[in-house]
Amino acid sequence: METDILNTLVTEAIWRAEELEALGIRPASSAWKEVSKIEEQLAQAFPLSEAQGRIARRGAVDAALKAGDYDRAQALTDAYLADESAPASLKAGLHEILDEADQAISSRFQHAAEHHTPREARELARRFSETGPFGLAA
Amino acid sequence: METVAFYSYKGGVGRSLLLAHAARFLAKLGKGVVALDFDFEAPGLHYKFGFDQISDPPTFTGGTVPYLIATAEGAASPPRLIDQMLVPPRPVDIRGWVWLMPAGPAPHKIYWAALKQLGERLRLGDPSGQGLMALLDLRARIADELKPDYLLIDARTGVTELGSLATTMLADTVVCMFAVNQESFDGTLKVVEALECAPRLASQKPIRVVLAPSRNSVTDIVVSEVAANILRESGHNDLQLFVLPHDNLPASETLSAFLAALQGLPEAFRGTLSHRYRLRPKFFRTFHPPPAL
Repeated sequence: METDILNTLVTEAIWRAEELEALGIRPASSAWKEVSKIEEQLAQAFPLSEAQGRIARRGAVDAALKAGDYDRAQALTDAYLADESAPASLKAGLHEILDEADQAISSRFQHAAEHHTPREARELARRFSETGPFGLAA
Repeated sequence: METVAFYSYKGGVGRSLLLAHAARFLAKLGKGVVALDFDFEAPGLHYKFGFDQISDPPTFTGGTVPYLIATAEGAASPPRLIDQMLVPPRPVDIRGWVWLMPAGPAPHKIYWAALKQLGERLRLGDPSGQGLMALLDLRARIADELKPDYLLIDARTGVTELGSLATTMLADTVVCMFAVNQESFDGTLKVVEALECAPRLASQKPIRVVLAPSRNSVTDIVVSEVAANILRESGHNDLQLFVLPHDNLPASETLSAFLAALQGLPEAFRGTLSHRYRLRPKFFRTFHPPPAL
């Protein structure tokens, strides 16, 4: 797909997601999911050596988090970090995005955060989601 | 704070009533107790504490569901816990205390509207972990601010997301109640086996499971002996068993009456359990119920 089209699509998708969020419309998460998918396409289209490639990688992870899809955000981060040519600034940036998301949850649930990390809760919730209530669907 | 979840695979076994009795009993011993209604789809714990008159409009609009909605919204200052609680009248001879956090002003329509809203705003088992953090935060906040000795949770019946989270993620101890019949027993044991190997957070100990047969049509001592043997035979050596009298009053008050009424092992009960575990007939032949008083 033409990168110009992707750029147009991502700009529109971000605008749409932000407007939905501003209006308090719940399905904003699916709009952010769309943004993340387009950013991922852009990340594939642009190499790491180009600024747009690095921006797209950060955008894909950031939008996945805004969509509430931590698993996707983590998977994308792992894939981007595994690229040996990834510059240190990008690696630090991706870690920062994930850490900020964890800090946001910790500050929202301060009492729980004194005993448990968001990452730990997320891992357990993911297992729960995979295996169903009581793990009986495993 | 010890967190005890009261769970039943099937409904109608007296789960909420037992919780209310346990709360009062612990308060009698001088303990501080918070009772939490997590049976969102069929809330009624407040009735067991005497709050059976819901005015229209309700004067009380707090509870677990409205609280979780507020936290799902990410309120900068979460609502005060004390505003979500009902305080049952305390007899003068009770040294401890009981506070009740009902699900909400059920069955008034504003409760069902709130429950619908919660479903739209916060999926408790969401893979993002936010729903789980919200539940863990509620428990931690109760511990930090109210400092009870016990948190008793009325968990949702059956195999549900909320019932699973209340037991596997929040509880230190799970009381699994069941009626003495095939379907109740089979389902309960599946859940018990799942609880025993449920994943836990790093700081949590393994779940302690207590089995509690209820609504017995046979005498408690018979149920107790047979159920204990069945559990041993099926490899559950470490499960604790507490058989409840039919009326759910504390066993100490009614046990002598039940012993007096003791008769042999009813055929129906024998059939149910022997079929389930394909036990050798020898097991039942060698079983001798204690003599009647």
